[in-house]
Amino acid sequence: MKIQMNHQGDVNVVELEGELDFHSSPELRARLGELTSKQAAKILVNLKKVDYMDSSGIATFVEVFQKTKRYNGRLILAGLTPAVRGIFEIAKLESIFEIAQDVQEAISRFLNSK
Amino acid sequence: MERVFELEAKSEVLRGLRRELRLLLGDAGWNQKATEEIVLALDEALTNVIRHAYSGKSGPMKVVFRDFPDRTELTVEDRGARFDPTRIPEPKLPREKPGGLGVYFIKKIMDEMIYDDSFIQGNRLHMIKRKTTS
Repeated sequence: MKIQMNHQGDVNVVELEGELDFHSSPELRARLGELTSKQAAKILVNLKKVDYMDSSGIATFVEVFQKTKRYNGRLILAGLTPAVRGIFEIAKLESIFEIAQDVQEAISRFLNSK
Repeated sequence: MERVFELEAKSEVLRGLRRELRLLLGDAGWNQKATEEIVLALDEALTNVIRHAYSGKSGPMKVVFRDFPDRTELTVEDRGARFDPTRIPEPKLPREKPGGLGVYFIKKIMDEMIYDDSFIQGNRLHMIKRKTTS
């Protein structure tokens, strides 16, 4: 899995590409942990190029969500592919996570909440 | 149709197996959505073998894919510590804590999940998906 981190203004954008599973999730967990450990206020994860995710991937995002919530940060997941959206639906996680259609919509949400 | 995969229980093997399984499921007539779901169910079963049966240590695991006109069956075998996923209670959803969803995914996706108590050398899990319910 490719993990690229950049900034759009004050938003930490995490671009993912590939399959997120039991093998690749520890690396993502560590990279996202770098952001939560410095209490990054705005985290946007772009899942547009993630065509597979298992429960390890879900667990990674649940953990990040809980951490950001503790310090009043905000996590938005954007660009869910049909396969990934299906997993979120099975786990009924759409009510927990803030999900945006794409990066643009997520950035707008962050800007509008300033 | 039957295919047998003899694998080392490590996370690196999962991706390649998923690729093979997608092809087999496509040939078996499953649509893309069902294929991805069945792939996920097998992936979760193997992740449990790596995490729980072998606790991250190495060991063999075997996957048997069998396709019939009315169903597809997947069997996962290992030689690790006993771990019966059918005894894991259903999680309360939505789950706000990390983990605990793998077995739930298998139960939700597959029509049957049967743990073979008679397989004393390790664990043997049968998973069945009926084509009439796809």
